[in-house]
Amino acid sequence: MEIFKQFIFSFMSTIGFAVLFNSPKNSVIYAGLVGAIGWMLYYITFMATNNYVAATFLGALTVGLLGEALARKNKKPATLYITAGIIPLVPGAGAYYTMLHLIENDFSSAAAKGVETLFIAAAISTGIIISSIFSKSIKRVRQKD
Amino acid sequence: MTNLKYDEREEVKKLLVLATLAGRLMLKSGAETYRVEDTVIRICQSRKDIQHVDAFVIPTGIFISLEFKGELISYIKRVKTISIDLNKISLVNEFSRTFVSTHMSIEDGIKEIKRINKISIYSNIIKSLFGAIASGFFCLLFQGTILDFLGAFIVSFIVSFLLNSISKLKLTFFLDKFIGSVFISILSYFLIKLGLGDSLDKVIIGSIMPLVPGVAITNAIRDTMSGDFLSGLSRGMEAIFSALAIAFGVGIVLFFS
Repeated sequence: MEIFKQFIFSFMSTIGFAVLFNSPKNSVIYAGLVGAIGWMLYYITFMATNNYVAATFLGALTVGLLGEALARKNKKPATLYITAGIIPLVPGAGAYYTMLHLIENDFSSAAAKGVETLFIAAAISTGIIISSIFSKSIKRVRQKD
Repeated sequence: MTNLKYDEREEVKKLLVLATLAGRLMLKSGAETYRVEDTVIRICQSRKDIQHVDAFVIPTGIFISLEFKGELISYIKRVKTISIDLNKISLVNEFSRTFVSTHMSIEDGIKEIKRINKISIYSNIIKSLFGAIASGFFCLLFQGTILDFLGAFIVSFIVSFLLNSISKLKLTFFLDKFIGSVFISILSYFLIKLGLGDSLDKVIIGSIMPLVPGVAITNAIRDTMSGDFLSGLSRGMEAIFSALAIAFGVGIVLFFS
């Protein structure tokens, strides 16, 4: 039940962001699905391992692979699906807390939050870079045949 | 100096302008650095007799140079504001493909780019509504209650609408985000007092989500990892200072409340 709820919530918030980012109308729903499935993987991995970075990495990898697959299918750039799709994973709250701790003169909390935010952002970027390299090499192998 | 025919040179210059306009439109809409460089180079190389095209793109500007029959021509364009617009990225991407593979004239190309620049698919109200939906459901995603959802929804709707109107004044991104987060915290504070929302923290975090530089952080690291260090640095600065502006805005209000 909780998983189902999480799916709906992440789906809706990704759709919201897709419209905020001016996604074309026919890709809004796809972006929502990509975001929700990515978040599902994050949620399940996080429940199993309690590790933010690993969970974020898997989530972002899923978002990247799905985005590339949809891009191939609809002949559109993959960013259309990926930019909004990673939003639930993005450490926005982390960045905000880091700066808030800094303002409150609480430097050790700020450093802890800041490093965590940076690692999560790095995990997202790595996931997306790996998925795009993966899809490029598939393309190359297919062209050779 | 000029053994070139006048027309030919004018034609190449126009091509360069077209490539820069297309690149700038993509960059302004938040496209990745490598994609902009690719597009610009592809457009320049699509016509004959052009050699040694290279483009240097960073989030704040585009530099292109090419060699045409032994003469070097270059062009620079500054880019100031970046606001994410995926539709434009997709349209320019499609345009560059058709331009390269067909014999579209350069004038038509420039007209097409100008047309794409004016397209906006969602109205102000629709965007604010979806911004509010995004904020509300984000609140729920972080274990907020249904009251928190309502609070974040209302706050985000009002502030998104306000910020969309403010963006016409072309203040800097720092002031935009600062003003936005000040309004968010004040509104959240009063809504909580009225009973719309259980925890102030969750309502505020949900509502600031559309302002938070999540995409900038991720793109900064992505650019750096793929070797575009200057772009990475520039987007990273944007991310850090956006987060700072939001934290200042919220911090000031929470301090006085």
